[in-house]
Amino acid sequence: MSEFEPKIIAFVCNWCTYAGADLTGTSRMKYAHNVRVIRTPCTGRIDYMLILKAFSAGADGVIVSGCHPGDCHYTSGNYHARRRWMVFRSLLDFLGIDVERVRFAWVSAAEGAKWAEVVNTTVADIRRLGPYTEYQNLIGRGVERSFQV
Amino acid sequence: MAETVRRTSGQTVVNDMEALRQRARELLDAGTVQVIIGYANGSNRRVRPFFARRPEDLERLILDDRCVLNLAVYLRKPEVKALGKAAVIATPPLLRSILQLAAENHYQESEAVFLALDSAGNVLELSSAEQIAGVLGSLPGSTGQDACVPSADRMPALSAGSTDRQARFAFWKQEFERCIRCYACRAACPMCYCEQCLVDSNQPQWIPVAAHSIGNLEWHISRAMHLAGRCVNCGACSEACPAGIPLNLVNQFLADRIQQEFGQKAGTSAKLDYALSVFSGSDRETFIK
Amino acid sequence: MSRIGVFVCHCGENIGATVDCAQVAQMSSSIPGVVHSVDYKYMCSDPGQTLIKEAVKEKKLTGVVVAACSPRMHEPTFRRACAEAGLNSFLCEMANIREHCSWVHEKGDQTTQKAADLVRVLVEKVKRNRPLRPIQVPVTKTALVLGGGIAGIQASLDIANAGQKVILVEKDPSIGGHMAQLSETFPTLDCSQCILTPRMVEVAQHPNITLLSYSELESLDGFIGNFKARIRKKARKVDEKLCTGCAVCTQKCPQKKIPSKFNAGLGMRTAIFVPFPQAVPNKPVIDIENCRYFKTGKCAVCQKLCPAKAVRFEQEDEILEIDVGAVVCATGFDVVNTDFFPEYGYGKYPDVINGLQYERLASASGPTLGEIRRPSDGKIPETVVFLACAGSRDRAKGIDYCSKICCMYTAKHAMLYRHKVHSGKAYVFYMDIRAGGKMYDEFVRRAIEEDGAIYVRGRVSRIYERDGKLIVKGADTLLGGEPIEIKADMVVLATAAVASPAAEELAQKLHISYDSYKFFSEAHPKLRPVETNTAGIFLAGACQAPKDIPESVAQASGAASKVCGLFSQDQLSREPLIAAVNRTAPPQYSSCTGCFLCESVCPYRAIERETITTRGGKPIRTIARVNPGLCQGCGTCVAVCRVKAIDLDGFSNSQLYAEVRALA
Repeated sequence: MSEFEPKIIAFVCNWCTYAGADLTGTSRMKYAHNVRVIRTPCTGRIDYMLILKAFSAGADGVIVSGCHPGDCHYTSGNYHARRRWMVFRSLLDFLGIDVERVRFAWVSAAEGAKWAEVVNTTVADIRRLGPYTEYQNLIGRGVERSFQV
Repeated sequence: MAETVRRTSGQTVVNDMEALRQRARELLDAGTVQVIIGYANGSNRRVRPFFARRPEDLERLILDDRCVLNLAVYLRKPEVKALGKAAVIATPPLLRSILQLAAENHYQESEAVFLALDSAGNVLELSSAEQIAGVLGSLPGSTGQDACVPSADRMPALSAGSTDRQARFAFWKQEFERCIRCYACRAACPMCYCEQCLVDSNQPQWIPVAAHSIGNLEWHISRAMHLAGRCVNCGACSEACPAGIPLNLVNQFLADRIQQEFGQKAGTSAKLDYALSVFSGSDRETFIK
Repeated sequence: MSRIGVFVCHCGENIGATVDCAQVAQMSSSIPGVVHSVDYKYMCSDPGQTLIKEAVKEKKLTGVVVAACSPRMHEPTFRRACAEAGLNSFLCEMANIREHCSWVHEKGDQTTQKAADLVRVLVEKVKRNRPLRPIQVPVTKTALVLGGGIAGIQASLDIANAGQKVILVEKDPSIGGHMAQLSETFPTLDCSQCILTPRMVEVAQHPNITLLSYSELESLDGFIGNFKARIRKKARKVDEKLCTGCAVCTQKCPQKKIPSKFNAGLGMRTAIFVPFPQAVPNKPVIDIENCRYFKTGKCAVCQKLCPAKAVRFEQEDEILEIDVGAVVCATGFDVVNTDFFPEYGYGKYPDVINGLQYERLASASGPTLGEIRRPSDGKIPETVVFLACAGSRDRAKGIDYCSKICCMYTAKHAMLYRHKVHSGKAYVFYMDIRAGGKMYDEFVRRAIEEDGAIYVRGRVSRIYERDGKLIVKGADTLLGGEPIEIKADMVVLATAAVASPAAEELAQKLHISYDSYKFFSEAHPKLRPVETNTAGIFLAGACQAPKDIPESVAQASGAASKVCGLFSQDQLSREPLIAAVNRTAPPQYSSCTGCFLCESVCPYRAIERETITTRGGKPIRTIARVNPGLCQGCGTCVAVCRVKAIDLDGFSNSQLYAEVRALA
């Protein structure tokens, strides 16, 4: 049987982490292929529902990353996001959802190496934790199909 | 499921009922209000909300420890508004929700009159958020711990100090699987005043509507997030739930967290900032790396 | 039904070497809604763009996904190409399969699979894009300049000379700032006032400049091109229009012993005063804290003696509301005082002074008329010790940065002292000499070699008084840390330059960011040094970081040219990726519940309250509305809206939802 390849969905802000991940690329640093990045304008935009939707789309892990506190392009979006994650993460933990599978990070536009490190450690952590079958078992077959426009 | 739900406090206050009725009668007679909203006996020894529009109806008003449903939900209903100005038989949880509603621009000054009993059995007539905030702390049963909680044997996974994540997951999975998505929790909650609930919006359909595991979990997570920093712990959601899911535990957990982390407690002031729409540069966490 | 075209770029070998582009194109063709899918060597090249344009026309595409480099690189290129082919440019998206895929992974199926996934995500997104038009906003062609120091003066003059209106606001009674306090300026030793005062006069007389001295910004609302400033014009208690500046009042005022801020506390002024003789405007101000009339109700000497009858005790602060299109913030800096240093006597020795005080001693217009006399007894000091880096580059003091100007002005101070007191000894303690700048190092060398300043590399650990002398104890680190003790008559501390105390409050009023030292942050440390992150607000001078005069002037001219660039057009064009509150049919009108949580999260105060009324004007309900001029599109409001009544174009709920579902 082939090794378990975790599926990781990342929500990043446009100004810091997306640009930081661009820098990882221009620096030609290699990292695990498992991550799929979804671009948002700001961590403030990242609705907690998106994290739930990522899990219900079968993700084994989720990365949420944006500008460091004080560096938000929109001055305060990441501070609002931080508070939201503090509350949301403790709620998930209270309900027994594995919060180790949600990796929150601050990666600036200058931290190309850090982005590679964030992805690699997350992939390694999720590999260790294994597939998130506990959650995926909740998903009934055919319950939620991607809809067409 | 009902027997697994017990109340931690609940002083019976029937003795002072006559004083309440008397004041309500005066308000109706003077035309200050057109309807008294309170509780009355329903079928099967249950309590139901009661709308008294004539003085003779007032005899049916009751107030005891079964009166948990939060009457604040009726204040925003157009059918009730159509009856005229209301006086509401008020318990401390109801008054807390009024303060929170005022903080969210959903209770206007003097929109209604609240009749509450103080510890000496005197009837207090409250109308403004300021008056409510002033007396709330001194009312009997106002400690905020008067919501229903499930018995300890049913929730070992939640007992203090439990580090067993999987047990917690199993517990809530089992609880939420019983949810039939009747939305009684939403209907009973004074803070659920949105005309179009997230679950009813379908572009996109954030939360699947059918009652199955994933949809139920997402619904209850969403509801908890929407009430985070706003729930006043009246317990009406758990009381209303036909499946007996201890919903208010989730809300109360978050309320406690928010009070610990940010020092904000819903239902204490009409000037309260919503904990999730403000921030502090000194917010501290250890998980963002 | 969507008709999406997918264009996969090889970027030569950059993508093609690790990703099987043909396979990505082939896999993309089976995504529902995709009607056209090709790969090509260089999509951004002319033939590549032609490929896209032709496909848009021939296949009647309703959306385009270019799978290539980062959208931060070529999104404008491909959006323009689409627009040229008649497709709204906002219906083009890019899948980043280079920076986020081919460059960071090894060649293999998994890398190709990832590229295909990224394309699928963007296809699902672009299906939900809608055509948008850039937002046009009008520009008010008046600039507000905050701060009348050299930076503010330069910015005002440059903007005014370009033919635009300027409102210059200065908190003090006169413009001039710190530069007006300086004696002579490095590296040329020309007199500061001689080069500054003509500029000050030019400001006062310029037809395009309105000078509001003794005024402060109360609040700033609005957005680029359309700010509304409220300015508090503090009561001078003197009618500026009537006052002729004859100075009878300042001569006759009986309250004479008030330390003068302009003279850094070394000289005295009266209660009704003009800060310095060349002040602009040359109109006095009554300091009501110290005025005998305001304290006791008796006196009014100035009022009785004023030949122009200009004294107005009853005058009140005035609030002016002004529309401006751009703001230049040039509010300057401050230096820490000697009492900041316990090891140097907490400021209790009168002859331990800071650099600004020394400037006043050395200035011909200063309290000693330019003679170096020590404050305690007025004697000419025989030995003066200058300490560079007093507080700067000192973690223990919480000031990690270099104040930048001290090396140069300390050399100047030593030089001036030696010029004025030929027999005197000038010691300079320094950490490093930072004299980068045109003619700067030569200047320091001159101080050492020609003017005989004695430079000692080392820190001073203590200063204390003994037998009428200040004992300066330090170490010479170039001589292996040998202890040194100098008996000095006066010590000058080159105290750290810090942000002005009101900087934080001002930054909050302006909605601009600031660093941990409360210096204002530029939009980009290298490429956008005069802009802030708030569009339409620019920085000049030492409010951003310690700077010398030439740098402040250069930045001020830079800010002025940014303002003129902005004012060169009548309409501003802005990206339309902004939030909006939905509107629905009656009786709901909107799913917004009017909880206004969005209002408090919005960093730009872009959320307004809108009351929906019946035709007769009866209010039905109050809901949120986004001011499209203010919204910058961060989307924080969207995430807090419980009912999803507010949405963000370009990153809408349905787009992000579909993007996640595309990965299911």
